[in-house]
Amino acid sequence: MVMIAANIEALSLAELQYLAQKEGVDDADILDRDELIEALNELYEDLEVPSSFYLAQHKFINTFVEYLGDDELALLPGVQDLPEYYSETKIHLLFKDPYWAHAYWNISPADHQKLEQSFEQYSIYLKVKIHQSKDGKEEEESFEIEIDKNDNSWNVNLPLRGRTYSVSLHYKDEIGGTSGLLCRSESVVTPKCYWADNVDQLQDEKTFTLLFSSVVTKRGTLVECPMLKEVVETLDNRIGG
Amino acid sequence: MGRNSIGLTLNAHMPFVRHPEYPRFLEEDWLFEAIGETYLPLLRMLKRLRDENVAYRLTISISPTLCSMLSDPLLQGRFTDYLHLHQELGEKEVQRCINEDSECLSLAEYYLEQINLNLQEYFELYQCNILTGFLDLEKSGHIDLITTTATHAYLPLYSEYPSAINAQIELAVQSHINHFKKRPKGFWLPESGYFPSLEEYLQKEEIAYFQLASQALFLSEEKVLRGNYAPISCPNGVFAFAHDFQLTNLVWSNEEGYPTDPLYREFYRDIGYDLPMEYIEPYIHSPQVRVFTGFKYHAITNKGNEKLYYNRQKASQRVLEHAQNFLYNVEQKGEKIAPLLDRDPFYNIAFDAELFGHWWFEGIQWLEAVLRGAAKSGNIVFETNLDYLDRHKEAQVLQPSYSSWGEGGYSNVWADGTNVWVYRHIHKSIERMEELAVRFPNQNSLKQRFLNQAAREVILSMASDWPFIIHNKTSVTYAQKRLKEHLGNFNLVYENMCKNAVNTEWLVKAEKRNIIFSDIDYNIFNLDCERNRYNG
Repeated sequence: MVMIAANIEALSLAELQYLAQKEGVDDADILDRDELIEALNELYEDLEVPSSFYLAQHKFINTFVEYLGDDELALLPGVQDLPEYYSETKIHLLFKDPYWAHAYWNISPADHQKLEQSFEQYSIYLKVKIHQSKDGKEEEESFEIEIDKNDNSWNVNLPLRGRTYSVSLHYKDEIGGTSGLLCRSESVVTPKCYWADNVDQLQDEKTFTLLFSSVVTKRGTLVECPMLKEVVETLDNRIGG
Repeated sequence: MGRNSIGLTLNAHMPFVRHPEYPRFLEEDWLFEAIGETYLPLLRMLKRLRDENVAYRLTISISPTLCSMLSDPLLQGRFTDYLHLHQELGEKEVQRCINEDSECLSLAEYYLEQINLNLQEYFELYQCNILTGFLDLEKSGHIDLITTTATHAYLPLYSEYPSAINAQIELAVQSHINHFKKRPKGFWLPESGYFPSLEEYLQKEEIAYFQLASQALFLSEEKVLRGNYAPISCPNGVFAFAHDFQLTNLVWSNEEGYPTDPLYREFYRDIGYDLPMEYIEPYIHSPQVRVFTGFKYHAITNKGNEKLYYNRQKASQRVLEHAQNFLYNVEQKGEKIAPLLDRDPFYNIAFDAELFGHWWFEGIQWLEAVLRGAAKSGNIVFETNLDYLDRHKEAQVLQPSYSSWGEGGYSNVWADGTNVWVYRHIHKSIERMEELAVRFPNQNSLKQRFLNQAAREVILSMASDWPFIIHNKTSVTYAQKRLKEHLGNFNLVYENMCKNAVNTEWLVKAEKRNIIFSDIDYNIFNLDCERNRYNG
């Protein structure tokens, strides 16, 4: 729950009950005002108020979380809920960071039915392809991820930098042993960093100062970024070694 | 002493929140707080400096959704009501402090004075449209106005959809031309979200430069020669400036930043939550929904719950110290960095505009002190990114790395376990919108309006604000509802058009509710469709 520092004693009975219920206070609905205040004060005794300044996390904040949440935003006439399925079988790969991508897919009702009717027992799996062009040669490797028939998304690990990844969705006949492709995603490319492969050059004082003086504070706080951290750790090891 | 150039960009943005179907709507307060506590005081301060001939130039990005809301008569009227309500509360607060809380009286009087000033300027100076104030500062050469994507979409998560990326950028430029009568030269990427090749879309709209997260050049596949102290040129000629994390963090850091000083005003202690319901009820939202009023009397003091009363004089003194500290850090940095470069260093720093005044109460005061101090210094100059490009036309050609200024430096904030579900629906809507644009090209009359509204709904669903809010667990229900509303609206159009039908009842209401991008042409989602270049 996002904490807004309220004066507990100023809250109405309804507000106190709402807060107490949210905080898991036992029998919140039958406690009287004084009891509720005592229970909440105890809970909040060691509370740290959020830093009184713009934290990205609290950018859009108004009220006690969800106090107004039950009010309906009236939908326009004829508008329906979002569908569970779409009519096309497709898979997408969303790049999250150099180490992870998010795959999501949809198997159309028609394809579902075909699979159910064609196979007595079948499973679904993902195949991740990793591709690299190196010295004029194309190199490819792949690995498979077992998933449940009811899954519709997966976070895919991207183990190597500077590679092209794609993911495809397959079915397998558990009895007959055959397998087939349902759909394939577009590719994502994991970035490579010059300094990761040339970390020794960072030991030059001029280069080090020029580069790090705008990504590290005077107190040593580094920009929050795993690839940058990786470079720093490699450099640390190189210097330490 | 060498020259230290600072390129300061303030990014002013609010998501499109407008609910004519309700007499008053809670989330509209986000806009009203920003106008009352940031935009009006910021304009006041910048004009004061101008009137006193204090030299400065800075860059301000005003998002298309914010421009739309600031110039919308409904919201202008509601902001006026908001100001009058707060004026009444201010008068009541002064009286309450006289009777019960004399230690808070001078602050209560100060708040009332600011509200009265806001009211006067909003009507008399700006005729309820504060965009004219920013335009005036641009005309006098003090600021450079730039834009950002149409609905603040986080573009890397749409990299598979060129039509959607193009639409976000093209509509943004259109909006800028409509409000400011010229094409923007700079572009603010929402959350500094960048993916390689994004500059191709910017070049198409004649954008000269954009901004990058601090690590974007460091993590390039090629060796960056001047660190973040000069822009680079992408291979297609569009320039990019990376943020200086070291200087930005003097302000922005949750642990070390100036705004965390114990003498500064505590944001989270507000009479909206401190005073009994009987007193505060007329000034919050019904039914008895407590909100921030802006009347805050406590200092940060420490991280605990016990807070001392705020002392404006002590805080003001601290502001001057922090301003001096910032300029000192810039000079120190210059002495270290300048000898390593073949030109004077340029420090590119950027903040959300709403930090100043709204989140950090003393922020505008600090900014004023910094600008004054720089103007007096002789070796620190606030200039725009365009000014720098005029002085230095040569830049290293480099491809920046995929990056953002969000937690983790990439896309995790907008695609985590709580919010990644949205993309299967938004991406599908984009695909279907492309399909509609191809199947029904160049429609007119009702079908054109129907399809235009569909395009509007897709664009509105792409706002990065909604997954951001869900990630940070603030107004989650509202964000989810907004997403479902826009996507549901789009699906209605799609299903009707598949039957070659138009739902006029829906259309009339949707156009009234989501009244933004009046010039939108749904053919924007068909990249093969020839359309005339928009010039206003």
